[in-house]
Amino acid sequence: MNGFRRFLQRLGRAVRTRTDFALKLAALTFAVLRDAPMPGMWRRTARSEFSRSLRQSVGGAVGTIVVTAVLIGVAMIAQGLYWLTTAGQQSLVGTVLVTVLVRELAPLLVGVILLGRSGTVALNEFGTMRGNGEEHVMQSLGLDPYQLLLLPRAVAYALASFTLGMVFVIVAIITGHLLGSLAGYERDTALGLLSRVLSAMAWQDFAVFPAKLLLIGILVAASSYLTGFGARRTDDVAHLLPLGFVRAITAILICSLMLSLVA
Amino acid sequence: MADAPAILDLQQAEMAPPPGEHAERPITLRLMPGDFALVESRDTARSSGFADLCCGMADLVSGSVGFLGQDWALLDHQETAMQRGRIGHVFAATNWIHLLGVDDNILLPQRHHTNRPDAALRDEAAALSVAFGLPGLPMGRPRDLSQADLARAACVRAFLGRPALLILEHPLQTRFRDMMPALLNALAAARDRGAVAIWLTGNDIVWRDRSLPATHRLRLTAAGLAPAPLPNRMKIA
Repeated sequence: MNGFRRFLQRLGRAVRTRTDFALKLAALTFAVLRDAPMPGMWRRTARSEFSRSLRQSVGGAVGTIVVTAVLIGVAMIAQGLYWLTTAGQQSLVGTVLVTVLVRELAPLLVGVILLGRSGTVALNEFGTMRGNGEEHVMQSLGLDPYQLLLLPRAVAYALASFTLGMVFVIVAIITGHLLGSLAGYERDTALGLLSRVLSAMAWQDFAVFPAKLLLIGILVAASSYLTGFGARRTDDVAHLLPLGFVRAITAILICSLMLSLVA
Repeated sequence: MADAPAILDLQQAEMAPPPGEHAERPITLRLMPGDFALVESRDTARSSGFADLCCGMADLVSGSVGFLGQDWALLDHQETAMQRGRIGHVFAATNWIHLLGVDDNILLPQRHHTNRPDAALRDEAAALSVAFGLPGLPMGRPRDLSQADLARAACVRAFLGRPALLILEHPLQTRFRDMMPALLNALAAARDRGAVAIWLTGNDIVWRDRSLPATHRLRLTAAGLAPAPLPNRMKIA
């Protein structure tokens, strides 16, 4: 009987250890979605942090997003236009772009870039705060790190993710169109191509694209927060960064996959 | 004043010991508006533990800690945060959030807990900074300021607004002559408004200073918190 109990204990400990982060991440994401619309959560300190985080996350990543979008425009969209034109399947251009670029590639790449440019910075900051005992100072002064740091950053990253996602899609399509026009196999205007993409979007696509981007932004912030503040005092940032990166990437991929399956 | 409720009321409060350590003796302390408790504590970790107990940050094994008539244990998350906003605190170890400038660090609790305009807060903080010997409200990051200026800035944050309780963990560090007059003036003003002050010190110069207008002189050790009046002056024949 004791042996069976020990087996159950070991099994439970192993399951708890492996699911702990995922459950906390889900709970924190839910808490952000619940609290974000509540005016009471947005004191001026939280608003200041929101403005700072939004500037940092959009301003810090927009250059990288544009460069990546141009590369995708050249490598993927122009190629796609060429081969679809060659195969006489121009009518499929909108559908292909929506399925590959809008629904899958844009949210993933934006999430990765947001994680690299802002998530790792946040993780570094939270980990340092934890290591220095600043979390204790905040709580002693009645300042809730969730309300003051996570909530504004999560909302800022969500809006930044959506903004950067829109920039990414538009720049990628325009680049692909430009290249196609220069090479002579794309005869439509840029607005015409954009219009074909919009026409190919079903209502699910209009829901999935922003939902993915907004959720990915929240997940990047929440994952950084949990990894940074969940660290032991002795953990250094060099150890936390790869751990936080892997956790956030996994969360982004799972979120993207789940939303793609739902819609 | 006799019927006024206690600002801080510790009744047989016993903290949960850290893993592997023995529990310390329960603490009883009742501070009324205007009281000033000077506490001798040679151990900064014990000082911080006591400070945590006073502001409801410590897990209790038994007893209770009341602040402004409310038991910390019975307050929800929001109420706890709001009550802590009435405490001015100088910490023994870390005082600063490294992401923010010292000015933002100083203003942060008041900006969060009150609706006072930023300009009024800045004016009051600047006046307090000057009173504590700074040229004005310090603007740099905490790492850019000297330890002496950070000690002054920590006092500015603690006294900013109208704190009901002041917890000063070793606030002077080694700058007794520079900061003592300003600190005593600020303390007197706060006590006149009805605030309670707890000054934790491990230094003999502060502890033996008879000019400090303490209403309670206490010693914090592993045996708990006990009254520790200064010995009478020896008379020279």
